[in-house]
Amino acid sequence: MTIVSGKAEARRRLQSARSDVLRKMWEHRADYAYVLPAIAVMLIVIAYPIYYTIELSFFNTPPGLQLRDKIFVGFNNYTAILTSGVFWQVTFNTLIWTVASTFFSFVLGFAAALALHRDFVGRGVLRAILIIPWVISAVAASYIWKWIYHSDFGIIGAILVELGWAERPPNFIDSVSTVLPSLIVVNIWREFPFAMIMMTAGLQTVPEQLLRAAKVDGANAWQRFWHVTFPHLRNVSTVTILLLAVANFNSFIIPWIMTGGGPSNASHIWITHIYELAFGRQRWGVASAYSVLLFIILMTLGYFYVRALSGNERKDGSA
Amino acid sequence: MSTVSETISRGQSARRMRVDGWRWGGRVFLVFMLLYTALPMIWMLLTSIKSGFAAMQFPPQWWPDQPTLDSYQKLLDPQNSVGQDFLRFFWNSLIVSTATTILSVIVAVPAAYAFSRFTFPGRNFLFFAVLLRNMFPAVIFLVPLFILMRAIGLVNTHGSLVLTYLTFGLPLAIWLLKGFYDNIPVQLEQAARIDGATRFQAFMLIVMPLSTPGIIATAIYSFIGAWNEYIYAYTFLSKNEQLTLPVGIQRFFSENTTDFPGLMAASFMMSVPVVVLFLLLQRYFVRALTEGAVKH
Repeated sequence: MTIVSGKAEARRRLQSARSDVLRKMWEHRADYAYVLPAIAVMLIVIAYPIYYTIELSFFNTPPGLQLRDKIFVGFNNYTAILTSGVFWQVTFNTLIWTVASTFFSFVLGFAAALALHRDFVGRGVLRAILIIPWVISAVAASYIWKWIYHSDFGIIGAILVELGWAERPPNFIDSVSTVLPSLIVVNIWREFPFAMIMMTAGLQTVPEQLLRAAKVDGANAWQRFWHVTFPHLRNVSTVTILLLAVANFNSFIIPWIMTGGGPSNASHIWITHIYELAFGRQRWGVASAYSVLLFIILMTLGYFYVRALSGNERKDGSA
Repeated sequence: MSTVSETISRGQSARRMRVDGWRWGGRVFLVFMLLYTALPMIWMLLTSIKSGFAAMQFPPQWWPDQPTLDSYQKLLDPQNSVGQDFLRFFWNSLIVSTATTILSVIVAVPAAYAFSRFTFPGRNFLFFAVLLRNMFPAVIFLVPLFILMRAIGLVNTHGSLVLTYLTFGLPLAIWLLKGFYDNIPVQLEQAARIDGATRFQAFMLIVMPLSTPGIIATAIYSFIGAWNEYIYAYTFLSKNEQLTLPVGIQRFFSENTTDFPGLMAASFMMSVPVVVLFLLLQRYFVRALTEGAVKH
């Protein structure tokens, strides 16, 4: 067996193989051994659960999860979701949460990466400090911020009172109107370092010579950024934004630990809502139907994610 | 010296003005980000060295009047029940995270290598199928996995966690490592093969050492992910002696709702291992991203 390299070779091989894929698969049976462990784990922990979720979404299953006693109900679980008022409230929250968290995390992270791109004394230390929130556990982060937002002894409330901007410490996470923005601040605190790392890595691939050439030609800082740096970072930006959007859409820990979705559902997002439906109220059917809807949304996002990634691949092949 | 530079800067001041504006903007921004990032962590540390009484005051003691390490002593003392629990949770987290990390590397390295080097039917499909795992939240898999774990008798074992944690570390691990292998010239291996090495030898002696930064980055990522994971641990484990730190701390807090110094001390100690690990090895992580994932 020879070691195969190069996309042209691969394409040629694939074309000739189309007629008898099975024979090819047999010839390459040794190659599959390398990916088999990864695929096996994935199948057990992903494919099986997806199948199971879809099945459960068409049944009513008793609270104790006695699978033998489940009753087929068709699309009832789905109509129950779409006609409930909570659904629209939670969807609205999720939208605000995802868009605001993703936008600010990306902008702050990108700006931090740019500001840290030029070397100066203490740059390494500063970068390390900015990354820490991303590394520590979301549970720890939630408790730290819960304490900061505390309605009696929280430091932000105390500062506001000290400065004379408030009569008494405001209720950040116990009030319907401020709870979601307050949690988004915590989420951005945890997420922007990821964007910073990705964009830092991206910035290092921008060719120095191009920037210098642009400078010689009289381009100012903004023009150099907009016409040289930014086009180089388009792929990284797309991947980063998609990963952030997916991660934010899938957040659970921060709202769950800090508020549990309250007060009166004001900070419930899809994932916390699904969790509560399943493990809190044990409405397995409705929770599974929710999961299937979520699944469809994510597959759509996933389509763009794969397209962004394979955009990278194609460029790699042509270069 | 200064007069010379002043003359120069005065001469070019018109051109420099704009650039300096950007630079100052960057500095102000970095100071803001530093405060945003660091103040919550500083407040955590300051609270953790207060007594319970000192923490619950209004206006707060900006700097603790009588700093005390009581909270840390309590958590680290194997003699009392709080300390026993905390140390046990810590140990559990360490075991689960280490097992996950080792297994991730063992599973991800060959897979990434195959995705990078071999062309077999379904390669692209399988690669993107693996990456797609990143898209889905834990909650989707929670109910069926709970049923699955119950069926194979893994509920209330650390094995259930290691198995699940493996899958969310794998996609990024494989992606990062594949980028690394893509950048290692095939000719190196071919040369080794001509010199009589088997394919496995060429892999172990040539490719593995060159991809060490990628493997380290992968390992850090898996370890941190497993260390911080909460939902599965919260759902799969119910026995107190098996809990990992995030769940253990939550349980601790629900029993001692006003012990904020203790909670902050516990949060701090839970963060120390991953922060230290990451700071020591972060250059590998950024390098792996640069050379592996982003360089296209």
